[in-house]
Amino acid sequence: MARSAEPSAGEPGPGWSETPKWLAPRPTPEDSEYWEGARRGELRIQHCTTCGMYQHYARMLCSHCGAQTLEWVTASGAGTVYSFTVVRQNGVPPFNERVPFVVACVDLDEPGARMIAAMPDCAPADARIDMRVRATFRPATDEYGFVDFAPAG
Amino acid sequence: MQRRVCVVGVGLSDGPKTPEMSATMLEAQSFRRALDDAGCEKRDIDGLASAGYGGMHEVMLAEYLGLTPRWMESTSVGGSSFEFHTMHAYRAIQNGDVDTVAIVYGNNQLSASGRTLGTGGGGGGRGGMAMPLPMAYEFPTGLTLVGAYAMAAQRHMHEYGTSPEQLASIAVQTREHATRNPRAMYRDPITVDDVLGSKLVADPLHKLDCCVISDGGCCVILTTEERARDMARKPVYVRGAAGGSTHHSITAMTDMTRTAAATSGPKAFAEAGITPADVDMFAMYDSFTYTVLVVLEDLGFAPKGDGGAFVTDNGGNLRLGGALPTNTDGGGLSCTHPGMRGLFLLCEATRQLRGEAGDSQVAGAEIAVAHGSGGWLSTQGTVVLGTEAA
Repeated sequence: MARSAEPSAGEPGPGWSETPKWLAPRPTPEDSEYWEGARRGELRIQHCTTCGMYQHYARMLCSHCGAQTLEWVTASGAGTVYSFTVVRQNGVPPFNERVPFVVACVDLDEPGARMIAAMPDCAPADARIDMRVRATFRPATDEYGFVDFAPAG
Repeated sequence: MQRRVCVVGVGLSDGPKTPEMSATMLEAQSFRRALDDAGCEKRDIDGLASAGYGGMHEVMLAEYLGLTPRWMESTSVGGSSFEFHTMHAYRAIQNGDVDTVAIVYGNNQLSASGRTLGTGGGGGGRGGMAMPLPMAYEFPTGLTLVGAYAMAAQRHMHEYGTSPEQLASIAVQTREHATRNPRAMYRDPITVDDVLGSKLVADPLHKLDCCVISDGGCCVILTTEERARDMARKPVYVRGAAGGSTHHSITAMTDMTRTAAATSGPKAFAEAGITPADVDMFAMYDSFTYTVLVVLEDLGFAPKGDGGAFVTDNGGNLRLGGALPTNTDGGGLSCTHPGMRGLFLLCEATRQLRGEAGDSQVAGAEIAVAHGSGGWLSTQGTVVLGTEAA
């Protein structure tokens, strides 16, 4: 196989445990619910009680209907890959050590909520549009964590 | 009655590599050349537009050039900013707020920053600057600028069966134009196999699916039809213009196979009194091969999903002699892309309509479309130009 550097399915690529400082989120009153939830292992998103749609990331108003009637809910963590790419060139540490890796755009099962996420457990050759995925959690500090996605089942 | 508006001057700076020039020097050089091209003087300019450098750049530029404009414009929506500037200048000149506008842009990106823009890891090197909100979620994934476009291309391939070969053909046909342009950065002919054999940057986009990174500056001068009569060149009329935005980050692009060009195009075409079949030449923001393909469909040159076939049919419809000669200067893919390319599109479209495009001239060109795409397919601006008024 020509590309021996590619991790096989089920093995996280190298370096995903470290988070460089410049990528650290700075949780605010608007979005700390999301970041703290990710640390606890919960995918927290907003639900609009007016139109019934969901959204990610946290906002003051519903991006679907404009109402200011949002509540925090815990999403199921299940979703479907809308699209993805395999990043093979990224000059910035730590990503230059991780290439190639999959980044996916995931439609959550909660209508209206879409997320971008790394898929460190998915081998590049295994990534597919429409594949079912589930959220996994990567705690980073006491304050926040990152949400990744992995192939479901 | 509203005044008619014309492009009367275009200027290109030296390029594509000018290590001895700052961005502002490139802007000034292209401004001087556009004045000379139009046969007018600095004192004739009463409006200035520019974008790309953040707060008050156009104010600094006015001082640097010795201008005291009564109309200013700095809409900054990425690479399509200059189609928006043209639209706004067109309206302002129509309505008498201003008479003669210079739109100016220059960047020494290649000499100053090297070739890392598209693969710099999102916010790499932001130096602790706050991230725009959606990017706080995107940057930690390691997605790159190229990767964002790649995701959209991947979705199009999934929905419509668009192939890497069809995308590659766009780069090949654009390079063919570049072989005739001594100013182009890359001039050796390439094949589809060359594109597919170049390094994958982010699946499905290869290195040769991506635009070049160059230095360069450009200036376009617009004025009234009445004033244009006293100037040196055959005026080129602005016939219609429209723009729009659908998202900022790629994640928020609800349908990655359809851009705001699907609404800006029909609006601009209706104002211009044309249909896609009337367009003789297309100056399209080719940040990536996919950008061209999706906008060809959105503007109605091909039905949705048939962009790939349109590109390759007829021996290559983007070639001279094809149904829609596109990026006849070699485009961003092979000629010039200094950070943002939107203004260079208006320059090339104008040269074609004047019949000044030399070996790359589209015979008898009367209608040209310049279309800019900015951000991550986020903002789209369409300008219709013609040898006659609408």
